[in-house]
Amino acid sequence: MTTSHQDNPYTLEIIKSALIAIGDEMFAAMSRTSMSPIIYEALDYSVGVTDATGDLIAQGNGTTVFLGMIDSLVQDILTKFEGNIHEGDVFISNDPYEGGGTHLSDVAIAKPVFFNGALVAFTVNKAHWVDVGGKSPGSFTTDANEIFQEGLQLPTVKIFEKGEPLHSVMDILQANIRMPESSMGDFWAGMAANNVGESRLHDLFTKYGEATVFKAMKELLDYGEKMIAAEIKNLPKGTFYAEDWIDDDGLGSDPLKVCVKIDITDDTFKVDFSGSAPQALGPINNSRTGLVSAVRTIFKALTNPKIPANGGCFRALEVICPDETIFTAKRPAPVSTYWETMLYAEDLIWKALAEEVPERLTAGHVLSVCAFILAGTHPETQQPTILVGPLVGGWGAMNKRDGLNGQFSIADGETFNFPVEITEARYGVQVDQYALHNEDGGFGEFQGGKGCYLDYQVRCEEAFFTGSFGRFKFPPWGVDGGHNGSPNYVEILRGGERCNPPEIHGKPARIPLKKGDIVRMVTATGGGWGEPAKRDKEAVKQDLKNGYLTAQQAEQHYGVSASD
Amino acid sequence: MRVATDVGGTFTDLVCIDDGGIQTVKSDTTPPNFEQGVLNCIEKSAINPEQLSYFAHGTTVVINALLSRKGSKTALITTRGFRDVLEIARGNRPDLFNIAFNKPAPFVPRHLRHEVTERLDYQGNVSTDVKLDELPAIVEALRAEQVEAIAICLLHAYINPIHEQQIKARILELWPEAAVIASHEVCREWREYERTSTAVLSAYVLPTTNRYLGRLAERLSEKGLQPSPFIMQSNGGVATVKGTLSDPITLVESGPASGMLGAASIGKIIGEENLIALDIGGTTAKCALIHEGKARITTEYRIEWDRENPGYPIRTPVVDLVEIGNGGGSIAWIDEGGSMHVGPQSAGSTPGPAAYGRGGENATTTDANLLLGRINPELFLGGEHKPDWDSVNTAFGKLAEQLGGSNEDVARGVIRIANANMVNALKLVSLNRGYDPRDFSLIAFGGGGAMHAVSLAEDLKVKKVIIPVNASVFSAWGMLMSDLRRDFLQTRVENLNETDPKLIDDKYADIAKSALVQCEQEGMAPEQMYVERFADMRYLGQEHTIKIEVPDGEITQESIGEAIERFHQTHNREYAFKLDNPVELVNYHVVVFGKIDKQPLAEKPTSGRTIEQACKGTRRVDYDDHGVHDADIYDLALLEPGMRFSGPAIVEDPTNTIVITPNKNVSMDSYGNIHIEMEG
Repeated sequence: MTTSHQDNPYTLEIIKSALIAIGDEMFAAMSRTSMSPIIYEALDYSVGVTDATGDLIAQGNGTTVFLGMIDSLVQDILTKFEGNIHEGDVFISNDPYEGGGTHLSDVAIAKPVFFNGALVAFTVNKAHWVDVGGKSPGSFTTDANEIFQEGLQLPTVKIFEKGEPLHSVMDILQANIRMPESSMGDFWAGMAANNVGESRLHDLFTKYGEATVFKAMKELLDYGEKMIAAEIKNLPKGTFYAEDWIDDDGLGSDPLKVCVKIDITDDTFKVDFSGSAPQALGPINNSRTGLVSAVRTIFKALTNPKIPANGGCFRALEVICPDETIFTAKRPAPVSTYWETMLYAEDLIWKALAEEVPERLTAGHVLSVCAFILAGTHPETQQPTILVGPLVGGWGAMNKRDGLNGQFSIADGETFNFPVEITEARYGVQVDQYALHNEDGGFGEFQGGKGCYLDYQVRCEEAFFTGSFGRFKFPPWGVDGGHNGSPNYVEILRGGERCNPPEIHGKPARIPLKKGDIVRMVTATGGGWGEPAKRDKEAVKQDLKNGYLTAQQAEQHYGVSASD
Repeated sequence: MRVATDVGGTFTDLVCIDDGGIQTVKSDTTPPNFEQGVLNCIEKSAINPEQLSYFAHGTTVVINALLSRKGSKTALITTRGFRDVLEIARGNRPDLFNIAFNKPAPFVPRHLRHEVTERLDYQGNVSTDVKLDELPAIVEALRAEQVEAIAICLLHAYINPIHEQQIKARILELWPEAAVIASHEVCREWREYERTSTAVLSAYVLPTTNRYLGRLAERLSEKGLQPSPFIMQSNGGVATVKGTLSDPITLVESGPASGMLGAASIGKIIGEENLIALDIGGTTAKCALIHEGKARITTEYRIEWDRENPGYPIRTPVVDLVEIGNGGGSIAWIDEGGSMHVGPQSAGSTPGPAAYGRGGENATTTDANLLLGRINPELFLGGEHKPDWDSVNTAFGKLAEQLGGSNEDVARGVIRIANANMVNALKLVSLNRGYDPRDFSLIAFGGGGAMHAVSLAEDLKVKKVIIPVNASVFSAWGMLMSDLRRDFLQTRVENLNETDPKLIDDKYADIAKSALVQCEQEGMAPEQMYVERFADMRYLGQEHTIKIEVPDGEITQESIGEAIERFHQTHNREYAFKLDNPVELVNYHVVVFGKIDKQPLAEKPTSGRTIEQACKGTRRVDYDDHGVHDADIYDLALLEPGMRFSGPAIVEDPTNTIVITPNKNVSMDSYGNIHIEMEG
């Protein structure tokens, strides 16, 4: 084969597809071998390939939260280890303030890829480990006031050097985490994913040669830029603004104001979060890479949700925010529930543009991941258990249809809820119901989607519950006369009975529970779109028949009587 | 005389084998009365149904009912507190960045989902007795709604079906003619959403399948057919009509499975037990891996699932195949970023590729093959139509204008991209699972398989390409090579380092015993039955499992050790690492086969014709990287066993075109299969 043949546009196209396929393949390898449900069910991880300079070439995602983290980690490695990156090295990092970090639970493993002795790429994965130490099981908690309570910090260090494992680093790691078998299993799953990526990259370089593959990588980035540029032209132009309130910082603070100003021109998209609250005492602080990830996510949703993400897609994007705000915290601020705040960055832009881009955006949705930790003992095996998971909730209505019932937040994606049958077998709790609810909220011409009840009954003698249910005080927003949705919250039913007054929480930390207590986790109904009076009466009757509305709600909000 | 019929999207195929050899017939598929196409085939073939000793049938009735939402109005009964499991589903959003994502609607609306008070714990013990007195009101409500089918799925019924059985029995007392399927009858694996979905979709297609198979059996019997027909399942085996109706969802991948099974069978005959099988049709290409003569079976199957949609899971055993939107009719198009793609949009048969001259304005893979001289214009569409060259040139001209270069450059690009898509799919079933393609041969069939196979093989680095005899009716032929097969899975998690081998042996024996009874009730004869056992295994702490074949004979510490060792090796092959962790068995899997006597594949007679006599002349063919050559053109019908030649060449008949690149050695074996050596 001649070089000119190698360079033709169709061959480059094929290499580009192969690069994207590498991301998918790394993703599958990780899911199939992981030891933790948060990885194999919630798919709370991401894999990616960057070029030798740290520009993102391809990324495989289970969730959206990692969109800014693969490339910034590699850039951090290139700076910190300049002249000290060798074939066979592997880096590990969970630093929230540098190196693409979020919170300590998200651990990244990066492998430099060499070809003919030269650094040509990195393969990276970042996953939520079920425990990284710290003051409470599951590591993230809603009441930490400094990072040292949130787990072991891995400030981008080598864990393999020139092909040899650094046992001292591994020993420190294993000694500081609660379930080393599980987390080390995830470490090896991450290594397997990186190795798959490395081997596929080697195949490509061997087959097509460095020059052609580099050219394809560059074209892939340019292609991402071009595809997004075409979409920016279709967005409304001008300045847009939104503000909102975060319930509290987890330590009982007053609500915290956040805001965004958006400037869209024919070829740029600039967001400015100046004016948002300063960094907080509690662990809801977000890092700058978290902010970039959030903005990239909503930017991609607004422009082209379909094409595979790479560094080129974000060249038109500019993110402005002063240091030491709640979106851009500095060491040693606690950050373990960072996503609550990170998601507000997305939601603000979403809210500012919902009516401007109604074909791509809904009214406000559940937003919070509603992550919880239930730590206890399996009553049959007597083994300690840590059940960590996100919850599904209601999505906002669109201007032509109702919102979706029971879906994971924008933070998640290819995330799967835990089967009841596996939850009961593996964690020894009893699940009493998993159902859509019809709490008040989300009424409109088009209704917000329904949130859920999930009831866990404790069967062991003693257990502890931690949960971060943002939008507990400020429910999802409605649009154009549509009502706001209902809030996220947790209710504890002591001995299975409602307390007086009801025991309701938004961000509880380590609530003690006894055998027979029920934790009822309640997720939001999404915001409605349009005045309820405009809703089709037949649709209301159908909702009554299906039990999505109570007779009283139908009467009060839609003027439809159940007896009609 | 043995006959198989396969109903495809466009054609219904018939293959008949007797001592005198093989006969094949094609006829149009006749929706919605698909049995008519089958009868038309029989008529066209002049076969006397009275003389048939065996009749196998592959049907798309189930997948059609599902995809077109033409099944029955279905209700669901669940454990109290869990009727919304079907609607919540798994909550996932594969289209991650799409905020306007639309969640698939449940097959049963909420008002037809009823709850019954009952509960089992996760070990299968009854913690709350089932309240059967709640059923009369429910049944009355469902009758009033004119429901046609009922699914039942209760928590933990996979481990203890007692409450499902009681509820089903009570419903049938109250409503004897109701079509009812309980989840444990179709799936004994854990994960309540997946099992509920399987039960619901099974109930949804049951009345339709029942009516269709009833009509088919009746019409065939009117024509004098004596034996009861056998129906092709997704697991690569056939089942009796009775067996099929007890678990109708097993038909969901009926057609594709038989092609893969045919590949495995022909491999056994010619001594090629490691195969990558590829079936290229009009809109899609499907591939599967056959290792040591066996295709992989999986229950992780979903319909309407892709990168953007979560689809609906069906936990039924299907041949593990990868399907992509690339076939002869796949359309080439350019996106906003200037990149060309091929598929998944297909021109179908109407309007069809540009060359059909039926108004198709888009360039397709078939058009590209025509433009490059690979398809003989004289034999286009079976020789019945001349290609519409104006329309082809216009279609390619539009693309060339945007991309630069000539129409031929674009056509080469279309083939390259289509081939790259297919190579990725072929790698998914081989390399990505740790198999080295160099240990495999590529067997290609379907309308487009032979056209692309050699190029794909070069990329994939397999050792050989095989184009089987009767490649264009291969799925129907595969059914005649099939045995009866029923799969029985049961989730019960065992730590293999701790569990007494006797308990495991007993559990397998229990499952096998009731499976054999069930198969006998469904019409298998005891003397034809044999059993194979598998275990879905994983490392303690993992979720996903790998299927491992369990050694024959009594299960002892040694045989468990052997199975664990196979697991370590397989895990290491697929994921490149193994662990010291304990190993768990998650699913017991018992397969009952019913051996069917088959006609041996007939050898192709020879007449002493020479290879020169089989060659029709030469044609200019563009082989892309390999240059443009005057290729030798062979008539497939005139080739005979033992003949040898080498590329550049084309072998063709009205239904098939084999494209052979320069310097490849080609031969025909004694059965008429074409072998193309990739090495040396």
